[in-house]
Amino acid sequence: MAELMADRVEKLKDLDVFVYHGKIYIPNTYTAGAVGTRFLIELREKKRIMGTKCPACDMVYVPARSVCKYCFAQLDKWEEVSDTGTLLTYTVAGRPNGVQPVDPPIIYGIIQLDGATTGLVHMLSEVDFEKLVIGMRVKAVFSEKRVGSILDIKYFKPLV
Amino acid sequence: MGNRVAIVGIGQTYHKSNRKDVNMQEMVGEAVRAALVDAQVKAKDVEAVFTANMETFENIFLPDELMADEMAAFMKPGLKVGTGGTSGASVVEEGFHFVASGLFDTAMVVGFEKQDCGDTTAAITAAVTPVWGKGVATGAIGEFAKQALTYMQKTGAKEEHAAMVRLKADKGACRNPYAHLRLGLKSIQEVLDSGYLVWPLRFLDFCPQSVGACALILASEQKAKKITKKPVWIADVVTVHQEPFRAGSFGDPTGKEAYSQDIAVERLYKRNGITNPIKDMCMAEIYEPSNWEEMSHYEHYHFCEKNEGWKMVEKGITEMEGAFPVNPSGGVIATNPIGATPTIRVAEAALQVRGDAGEHQVTRDVHTAMATALGGPNWTVVTLLRRSL
Amino acid sequence: MTTEKKAEKKPEYIKVEIARPRAYRWSSGRYLGRLYKEAMDNKKLVTNRCPKCKELLWPPGGVCGRCNVEAGEDWVVMSDKGTVIQYTYLVFPLWDPHYGDRLANPYPTATIKLDEGVFLVHFLEEKDPEKLKNVKRVQAVWKEEGRGRGLADILYFRTIDE
Repeated sequence: MAELMADRVEKLKDLDVFVYHGKIYIPNTYTAGAVGTRFLIELREKKRIMGTKCPACDMVYVPARSVCKYCFAQLDKWEEVSDTGTLLTYTVAGRPNGVQPVDPPIIYGIIQLDGATTGLVHMLSEVDFEKLVIGMRVKAVFSEKRVGSILDIKYFKPLV
Repeated sequence: MGNRVAIVGIGQTYHKSNRKDVNMQEMVGEAVRAALVDAQVKAKDVEAVFTANMETFENIFLPDELMADEMAAFMKPGLKVGTGGTSGASVVEEGFHFVASGLFDTAMVVGFEKQDCGDTTAAITAAVTPVWGKGVATGAIGEFAKQALTYMQKTGAKEEHAAMVRLKADKGACRNPYAHLRLGLKSIQEVLDSGYLVWPLRFLDFCPQSVGACALILASEQKAKKITKKPVWIADVVTVHQEPFRAGSFGDPTGKEAYSQDIAVERLYKRNGITNPIKDMCMAEIYEPSNWEEMSHYEHYHFCEKNEGWKMVEKGITEMEGAFPVNPSGGVIATNPIGATPTIRVAEAALQVRGDAGEHQVTRDVHTAMATALGGPNWTVVTLLRRSL
Repeated sequence: MTTEKKAEKKPEYIKVEIARPRAYRWSSGRYLGRLYKEAMDNKKLVTNRCPKCKELLWPPGGVCGRCNVEAGEDWVVMSDKGTVIQYTYLVFPLWDPHYGDRLANPYPTATIKLDEGVFLVHFLEEKDPEKLKNVKRVQAVWKEEGRGRGLADILYFRTIDE
């Protein structure tokens, strides 16, 4: 840890200016909360993607959330959505940035799963970037080892 | 001085050391719903939403974006307010200004902190710029420790007096279902028996790290009178920020520099016809990061003469049944979700004015109350609340 | 017949950990840089003086905040001697979270007024709580090697007889 955090001060060559190279380390553990936990546990235990439904606004939120953004109702109706959906849009990230779950290049897509009214951001794989088309049908591929994380879905691949 | 603004709704969460059962947004949602229910106002009728928190702890850059849904802020204007430790009071001031301008009829202000998601020590240590201050590792606690020592040396206060303040705070907290630390302390000796953290500050002398949120709903005079029979009027808000003291962060051991607290209350009292603070006002909810600071603040808020804060404690003047109660809610030393703490001070003072503080309602009738906020380096926001203007 | 008590199942709550150090490169700027340089090369503390109020700025900077004027280049070399205004010491060990398992500096910290009038917070060499009560005059003890970090080039302040 000490090595990871080692700092150093560098004097600029022709100026009496010193640059402090260091790192700020503030670890975070975000609580998923009861609703988030249930969504993640369903991924882990049953390979099921669940959403919460607002009947008044005809919305099914995926990932599941606890409040409807339009009418402010508290949501307690859970509904399973399909693991298959439509690709709404996509892009590719070419450069590494230190916070990516896998090495780049990474294809990111927004997918509307059948039964959901929101889009889900995730990764796409087993496909060439040039062959991607908006409106394509894609299907979730689950990881073998699942821990209760959004990455329990490994990626989405085109449905052939 | 602008249009009249009242607090018409008050809501807070039950403050704890951690809340695994909710995420940040849902926690804020609890306080927001409590305030809406208290005001009997619909979410869609709140015109603007303001948030306050210390971003470095949770590392969420735009918390108001994250919690827009839970604050019913979708498609509404608003701001995130960040003034360090005073954020929770500055956000009240912000909402107050928007409504007082006459351009808005209602506003909601929310202070929150979810410190179980962050690392408070790391965040505060990181806030010290490395080019100047890093490596002097006792940080904020060390500063409060030095101040406690200076207070003892200058005024003759004893550790027993600090312990009395801690006991008073715990008594209040045990009567306040929303408070975080409700220890059931029975004697001064119990406080004195808790070990030293940074000498001469003991474990029990310092505020905790709490998780919680507090929301207030503000309304213009016209709207307020329709919403509630018991509006709590925001008579005035005074903010004084200052350059850091040359010889300390929250206190000046040289005795030569002006304190933001003195300047702030001089303005507040003058503008509002208060000549004898502990008679003209009925109680105060002050932001005391430590029990030693509370005694020093009595002096700087002009509740008593300089160097006599500890005497007020000895005489029991600031107890719940006393002549001028201070922090009957338990204060910051019992509950400290940093971004929410100043908002809670205003909320608790407002509950006292309304007569709705339940078991921790003070004996004296409260028509005028003061709420204060403290931030580094010794920034102050003071808010005056009245039952009628 | 044995009766088995079914263990109470505690609800699971998931937490997502993000623990990533974030790199920074913060410049001292020209004024603090001068302080850094004098400390590194000459083991001296320097600062600049406001041309209007004649007060020493501390830390050295480009603007005097009280006068709202540019501070200029009137540099002053300060003695590294001073008087302890207040001190404190750790009883319960605190660890610096930025360095993981490294203990926070074990020396007592003090607010010291240098003879030229500026205050700084630094460490005291004296660790005995009884002796600390009587420490008044102190002098900086500089690192012999590895300087280049501004005030951290001073190890601590040593009690002197004066």
